[in-house]
Amino acid sequence: MKITELVKILKPDLFIPEMQSGTKPAVLEELVQPLVAGGFVRSKGLVIETLSKRETLGSTGIGKGVAVPHCRTLAVSDLHIVIGVSKKGVDFDALDKKPAQLFFLIVAPPLDGNNLYLPVLGKVVESVRDSKLRQAMIAAPDFGSFLKAIQGG
Amino acid sequence: MTRNLIELLVLYQDLDLMLKETAEAEATMGFEMEGREKLRKAMDDIAKNISPRFLRTYQRLHTRFKRPIVPVQNDVCLGCFAKLPTSYGEKGRKDQMIYTCEQCGRILYWVE
Repeated sequence: MKITELVKILKPDLFIPEMQSGTKPAVLEELVQPLVAGGFVRSKGLVIETLSKRETLGSTGIGKGVAVPHCRTLAVSDLHIVIGVSKKGVDFDALDKKPAQLFFLIVAPPLDGNNLYLPVLGKVVESVRDSKLRQAMIAAPDFGSFLKAIQGG
Repeated sequence: MTRNLIELLVLYQDLDLMLKETAEAEATMGFEMEGREKLRKAMDDIAKNISPRFLRTYQRLHTRFKRPIVPVQNDVCLGCFAKLPTSYGEKGRKDQMIYTCEQCGRILYWVE
């Protein structure tokens, strides 16, 4: 998958420039909220519970201030990515124990027609490898700046 | 957390599929997956809240289909693509009941 293909999936309404939550469960709830507001999910509770259960498999806090909570659930009919930025950082049980500041919530239906789920997951992880770009994403004040940052500044 | 029957079944299936997809994700993403047993236990806990009758229906369907519960889009069962009666949708979106496809027998879930 190319970065331009990933960018096409991102939506301004699913971008939270300043997250308020201070705990892992609250972060999941805050990230799911734009999906509810946009009418993309039938049951908010079902998505949150599936995401929470996914965390029992191992934290999706991948380190370097990044977390990628993700799950497949019948509660959505299309793949969606919600991006959240926490200026202060949240303990997300990350591999390196550092607080997470950059969140990519990825939800997809089990019947993912275009089979995007794993390629998207892989591209997101790849896009945050570069430290400078990561910092630019965290500092992005709006969706446009974030898009510029994720595409290489 | 109190959930209606269809949501419990959907959650049960989502976790079931998650466990199966774990191996692939572990290989490609490098996430820790040491919690499989915890996830299995979570599935068992959910199963305790589903009436045995419906759990048996789910398990019987699972022997025939990878996904016993399928979404409905535009009054079409996305398991077998049969057109469903319009009245199904009206009831299925509101009710807490279980509806199955008349053609393939899969459990139906209205996402929208």
